[in-house]
Amino acid sequence: MTGRLWRIGWRNLGRNRKRMVLTALGLGVGYFSVVFMVGWAEGVSTGLVENATSLVSGQIEIHDADYRPERSLYETIGGREGADVGEILRTIEADPSVVAAAPRVYASGLVSSGEATSAGVLLGVDPEREVALTRFLDPLAAGRLPAAGRYEAVVGDEMARQLGLSVGDELIVVASAADGSMGNDLYTVTGIFRTGLLEFDAGTMVMPVADLQELVVLDPGRVHEIAVSTLDPSQADLTATRLAAALGAPERAMSVAPWTELNPVLAQYVALADATYWIFIVLIYSVASFGIANTTLMATFERRREFAVMLALGASPRSVVGTVLSEAVATGIIGLGLGTAVTVPLMVWFSTAPPDLGWLYGSLTVEGVLLTPSLRVGTNVPAWIWATIGLIVTALVSALYPALRAARVPPADTLSGV
Amino acid sequence: MWLAFACLILHLAVAAPARAQLDAHAIIDRVDRLMRGDSSRGVATMEVVTEHWERRMTMEIWSLGTDYSLVRLRAPRREAGTATLKAVEDIWNYLPKVDRTIKVPASMMGGSWMGSHFTNDDLVKDSRLVEDYDIELVFDGEDADGVAVWDFRLTPKPEVPVVWGHIAYRIRQSDDMPIRAEFFDEDGELARTIEHGDYAEFGGRIVPRVMNMHPADKPDERTTIRYEELEFDIDIDPSFFSLRTLQRGR
Repeated sequence: MTGRLWRIGWRNLGRNRKRMVLTALGLGVGYFSVVFMVGWAEGVSTGLVENATSLVSGQIEIHDADYRPERSLYETIGGREGADVGEILRTIEADPSVVAAAPRVYASGLVSSGEATSAGVLLGVDPEREVALTRFLDPLAAGRLPAAGRYEAVVGDEMARQLGLSVGDELIVVASAADGSMGNDLYTVTGIFRTGLLEFDAGTMVMPVADLQELVVLDPGRVHEIAVSTLDPSQADLTATRLAAALGAPERAMSVAPWTELNPVLAQYVALADATYWIFIVLIYSVASFGIANTTLMATFERRREFAVMLALGASPRSVVGTVLSEAVATGIIGLGLGTAVTVPLMVWFSTAPPDLGWLYGSLTVEGVLLTPSLRVGTNVPAWIWATIGLIVTALVSALYPALRAARVPPADTLSGV
Repeated sequence: MWLAFACLILHLAVAAPARAQLDAHAIIDRVDRLMRGDSSRGVATMEVVTEHWERRMTMEIWSLGTDYSLVRLRAPRREAGTATLKAVEDIWNYLPKVDRTIKVPASMMGGSWMGSHFTNDDLVKDSRLVEDYDIELVFDGEDADGVAVWDFRLTPKPEVPVVWGHIAYRIRQSDDMPIRAEFFDEDGELARTIEHGDYAEFGGRIVPRVMNMHPADKPDERTTIRYEELEFDIDIDPSFFSLRTLQRGR
């Protein structure tokens, strides 16, 4: 029974090829739109997260439990005594999802050159580890990374501009040290970095951890932060929980925070973007379904007499409904074929080599995150599945009313009338 | 005759409230001048106690009016020679270790001066109280120890850019010595207290030798300045307060 209905439905497709192809294309384009829009939105939020977490901050940050939010110079990991930083780094790197980990020391101070002085954050890093973790020092806009013990530093390009500095120049740094004195020394600028984040580029000076510890009188075991990068930013929460257990963080008064906790606005944005995928699916398929309903209604109206004959010959109204619906499903399958034929290559292209959209609307900074717009798409398997189900459902739903109309054609009147 | 009488009535009516005002004004003015002199030179120790560390510094201080001052550290040895020059609105620090002078940028004026509880702004905004504040006598009587005191409330004049909501100033009646100044923020919350004490004679006048500053939000912290030497009306002119003098070192 179903097999015969299928055959009838399938054969009917050939009766008006143009119309069938147009309807199928409508569904195919709808399918492509859903997959592409969801993929692009996913690409934008993945890009946002990656940019936010790989440029400067890392996906997980480990601090003393009291460090945030005041970020006091004294609240180093392990408290006043400090900690065995090497041992902590080894423990972190033993985790399979960790890519890199790096220690950091923060202080605030004055950076001065000639007549100009600006207030800034002094960031102590381990240059080798830092370039494995984040992108802001690699590549540098100019010069090279600072070497430890030689009073060398790199500054942001905006700070360099404000202070009139170039590579090789000397600068004076003054900072309140942990013993209450005013730490001060001369440094040579070996390089200039540019993140595109204006505030960071204007207010940050980077030097090796040991040099900054010397300036602000902190012991070598005292660092404020250990930043960690992971293979998959969306799994950072799980990794953070695992690291906290491996390090015994609660007993040592350490806090292990994933980016979702450090940047809640970004996490909320990503969650919101996920929730809007449904809106794409519903909107796009609703538009498609009205178009399909219209064509199917026209088609069934034209075939009034045919349905009347079927009914007069003893076909049940049910089987008439079945014929029309199977035709719709067949159209849907062809639409799916067309849609997939267009979608797969485009999505592969967009995800492997995303076209740059910078020419369209320049670079933008969102929530302190630099974005270079591109057509980069993410792969969201559930979205593909839902788009497929949505397509078939749309085809069925939009054919339902025409099918019912077809089943209710009064045979005698229709055949006797004109 | 009637005209003269009318004038007298008028005069009394206007002068009576004005006199009380004038008195408060005059007392604060006297105290202010006493603490400053036209010019001065002194040696003081500054002790800073914070939650994290304690420090003691010895410094030599020159001042001229409210516009100029120069402070140079003598001890501790590691920081000796470090100096601060204030000239009108600007502050420069001289760092002997690197032999460089840097100007404190506007954004850091709220920052700590030499690690103490005083800010750079405290040095710059060090102005004549009578010029910047409306002064009102709010208490005239004995304090808890039975000492006759006046309490004044100093409210900044509308156009004056000061950070305080008001200042409560207590002065000893017998000799116009300041006892205590409490600084309140714009919400009326106590921000810090400065206590004066150990009144002693320097350069022919009696002044409080010790000044003790407590930030209200950190009850265990303080900065204490104690004068060891102090002379007034010395022979000094504005050209002394130059970057050259600042860099001349110890």
